[in-house]
Amino acid sequence: MQFDFTFLGGYWRFLLNGVLITIWLSILSIIIGLAIGLVVGTARTYGPRWLDALLSIYVDTMRSIPLLVILVWIFFALPLVSGYSMSPFIAAVVGMGLHLGAFVAELVRAGLTSIRPGQTRAALALGMSRMQAIRIVVLPQALIRMLPTFGSVLVITIKDSSLASVIAVPELMRQSQVVVGQTYRPFEVFTVALIVYFVMSWPVARAVDHWYRRIAHLGAS
Amino acid sequence: MKFDWSVIADNWPLLLQGAGVTVMLTFATMALALPGGMVLTLMRMSRLAPVRAFATGFVEFFRTTPIILQVYWVFYVLPVLIDFRASAFATGLIALTLNVSAFNSETFRSGINSIRAGQRNAALALGMSEWQALRIVIIPQAIHRVLPALASTWVSLFKDTSLVSVIAVAELSYVGLQLRSQTYRVLEVLTAMAALYWLMGYPQAKLADWVHRKFKVSE
Repeated sequence: MQFDFTFLGGYWRFLLNGVLITIWLSILSIIIGLAIGLVVGTARTYGPRWLDALLSIYVDTMRSIPLLVILVWIFFALPLVSGYSMSPFIAAVVGMGLHLGAFVAELVRAGLTSIRPGQTRAALALGMSRMQAIRIVVLPQALIRMLPTFGSVLVITIKDSSLASVIAVPELMRQSQVVVGQTYRPFEVFTVALIVYFVMSWPVARAVDHWYRRIAHLGAS
Repeated sequence: MKFDWSVIADNWPLLLQGAGVTVMLTFATMALALPGGMVLTLMRMSRLAPVRAFATGFVEFFRTTPIILQVYWVFYVLPVLIDFRASAFATGLIALTLNVSAFNSETFRSGINSIRAGQRNAALALGMSEWQALRIVIIPQAIHRVLPALASTWVSLFKDTSLVSVIAVAELSYVGLQLRSQTYRVLEVLTAMAALYWLMGYPQAKLADWVHRKFKVSE
């Protein structure tokens, strides 16, 4: 078996386009996931009990169903119920955002509850309102403690964006499959795709670790 | 749009069979990935630098690339590289095992590192060999600490088995997606598939939560 990577020269623009869509998809999903996660996580920690019960159904459902199934359901089945069809890209952002949101919500809740209750009591004793105590005292420390896990969330997002290929979003995974279909060279194409994913995710993981080590002391109490 | 749920009743045995394969794949993968992760961990603690470098590279690579791509890679590349042909199920099992072994090794390593160095030193001072210290003193304590992380990995693995549907392993997702294209009852089939995953995944997620609470290390 001879390996020949030169034919990829003719496809680099096509694959680069896929990389850009992978990055764009990851960024949008992260933003939505963070927004949902912060609201849901805070609401579950400090909100009334009925709200916690309601939101736990959302979080645990997202934790127990594979992302693949969520994406396929949103893209193929949801339009039959709602009457609106979505583009594959929008469906992928919605599905990944909802899935990530549940993950981030658990993270936020764990971070918030890890701050000793004495801190909240001290803040209240200083005359802060409950909202101020959370915003000024608890949340900044909790966010720093969440950083390492947040790094893995970023990596998970980049990796999971490859599942959008199943609903034909033209991201890196999908584009690689197309190139394989045209050239019948799965070895070369998939190996290059693996390396590109590694090059995207690994520095993110290391950078967050590095950054965390520099500011970890701010989260210690 | 009218929905016709009889398609689920008609194809119920097929869906259940798919669910069975999903469960089997989860158990088989974890059964192989526990020793796999242990071997990788020992390799990462080895005295030989090349062994350490290989194991670390392996773990980092499998942790930072998409499983779906790993599945494709094992499916297309392994037969070419080492002239090895396996069934779709075996191929999927290999890909998932490689991936989960990498995650398990990271779990084991942090579990072992979480046991204070003084314990190892004390064991060595008592005349134990390096291996005895690991086996008798460190590992029994580390097991409790790695259980929560293993439980989380288990839940992820259960969901990740859906990805081997891309190489036509007849687990739940594959069966569901096939049924969808054969019957055109898109909403009914996909909803039934999601519901089956939910029914199986929800108790596992709750069990993982319980393990986390039970074996939590308090500061």
